[in-house]
Amino acid sequence: MSDIAIQTENLTKKYQNGVLALNALNIKIKKGDCVGYLGPNGAGKTTTIKILTNLIRPTSGHAYINGIDVNKNPKEILRNIGSLVEVPGVDEYLTPNEILTYFGKVHRMSKKAIDLRIKEVLKIVRISDWEHKKIGSFSTGMLRRLVIAQALLHDPEILILDEPVLGLDPNGMKDVRDIIKQLQSENKTIFLSSHLLHEVSETCTKVILLDKGKVVAYDTVDRLRNMSATQKIDVELLKLLTKEQIIEIESISLIKDFDIINKHLKIVFDGKRDTSSQILSKLISLGFEIVSYHPASVTLEDVYISVMGEETGVK
Amino acid sequence: MVSFKGEVMEDITHTYFATQYELRKHLKRKRLIIAVILAVVIPILFYAIPKIWGIGFADTSESFVSSNLGYANMLIIICVALFAGDAISGEFEKKTALLTFSTPQRRISIFVGKYLAALTAVFIIVSLYYIITTLEAVQIYGINNIPSELVKSYLLALLYVCSVLSLTFFFSSIFKGTISSTLLSFFSLMMILPIVSMLLTVAGIEPWFIVTYSADLITDVFVQPSLMRGARGVQGGGFTEYAPDFGTGVWVMVGYAVILFIMSIIIAVRRDVE
Repeated sequence: MSDIAIQTENLTKKYQNGVLALNALNIKIKKGDCVGYLGPNGAGKTTTIKILTNLIRPTSGHAYINGIDVNKNPKEILRNIGSLVEVPGVDEYLTPNEILTYFGKVHRMSKKAIDLRIKEVLKIVRISDWEHKKIGSFSTGMLRRLVIAQALLHDPEILILDEPVLGLDPNGMKDVRDIIKQLQSENKTIFLSSHLLHEVSETCTKVILLDKGKVVAYDTVDRLRNMSATQKIDVELLKLLTKEQIIEIESISLIKDFDIINKHLKIVFDGKRDTSSQILSKLISLGFEIVSYHPASVTLEDVYISVMGEETGVK
Repeated sequence: MVSFKGEVMEDITHTYFATQYELRKHLKRKRLIIAVILAVVIPILFYAIPKIWGIGFADTSESFVSSNLGYANMLIIICVALFAGDAISGEFEKKTALLTFSTPQRRISIFVGKYLAALTAVFIIVSLYYIITTLEAVQIYGINNIPSELVKSYLLALLYVCSVLSLTFFFSSIFKGTISSTLLSFFSLMMILPIVSMLLTVAGIEPWFIVTYSADLITDVFVQPSLMRGARGVQGGGFTEYAPDFGTGVWVMVGYAVILFIMSIIIAVRRDVE
């Protein structure tokens, strides 16, 4: 039995309007992993998710869930998946109970199990009081909670979530984060597409960075952070910098880029230890009064901007 | 691994669930209630207006039933547009497909379920219309004078429902918007096809292949059998009038129902949820 839950092989999707959304995409996600799927708009995140959930067909290549080709046996693979794709429409004249009962039946759950599970999932997403209310009166956030409940209903092994916190208030975001962490502890495989890097860094252990339909980075969050961290230094100064001092910093050729916030100077360099030492010596020789000098702490956002900037030519 | 027989059984079960779910939606959306009101009010008007104004009813029960059922065609078209105009296009436009299509069921089960739900709903409406018309005829002419062709007419009306529903499903499967698919179905059946029929008739060509022409059989069954036998060449107003042949009309309706249903399912199943 393979330990790969989700895999794509040269997955390519070209839409009828000529847009190449996925360009021979190759990813492998191990069972039990929680992987964040990041990328700018149009990178191909939703296209990947739609292929994995059998909503669209690839132009070429293959997508596998638990080793089964999604295109060849979608019914079988969808039994083990709970998914949330984009912003699905929900029939507003029905109630959560009616909708979830239908999906429970489709998942071959018994009536007793459906009734029990509906109560559980609505409690998890905190809309228990609305079980028998018409969906037409729901706010955007409540609708989002309902579709998350639908994804969790059959207690799937794999969760594929596309922007799950979209439209949620901070409390809702925290709730979803807690739900994902809980599912992680139950060893579920989670594939999470999001624009919110903070959400991903809080919940996922690994990250795939996607751009123009291709993977540009795939590693653990910590390793990606460390890679970027080696190229940045945080310098704390005793006094605020003067105009002349800023010009002096600009003149140091070893510094690729820098940013100043109050008494803090963030330096970007080539990552070599020698260079770091030379920059420190230079700053001291120029008379800068330094309180501390250490590798910068890097957020996932820094990693994202660093990688995507190079790829897209923004930076 | 599920056996082939098990797979088929599961698909049938999913179709049943989809039918149940769609019927619930028709009920909740109050569309079924609107259609029921129409099915009750139209035949009641045929009874109440002559009664209140003292106009008097038709001489024979055949004439009464025939003129009353002349509106069954319109009722069928309205109901089909109500229940099926957005059946497929709505899934894509309202993005409900993002939820329903990513579940472990074949899309064919979902669409067949939708078709069966719409069929059930319209059958209920048409049956109600026929029941009320029959009761009125019994009240006016007595039970012994009820035309035996009423059953034939009823079965033809149900067959016409199937053909009209398939045509509407077909439009719903090719259009992205619910309004365009519903309006095109409605106007095709109410105006475009009848106009084409009329133009062909004027040109001396019998429009036997047009389903709205075949629908005339619903009331023609109460007319003399000589006209029913595909009486071609009845002179009137400078051009030949045609009446649909029973056998041909039935086959045309069956053809529309089967071919367009299969085509709509194939198109709908292959559509991407973009």
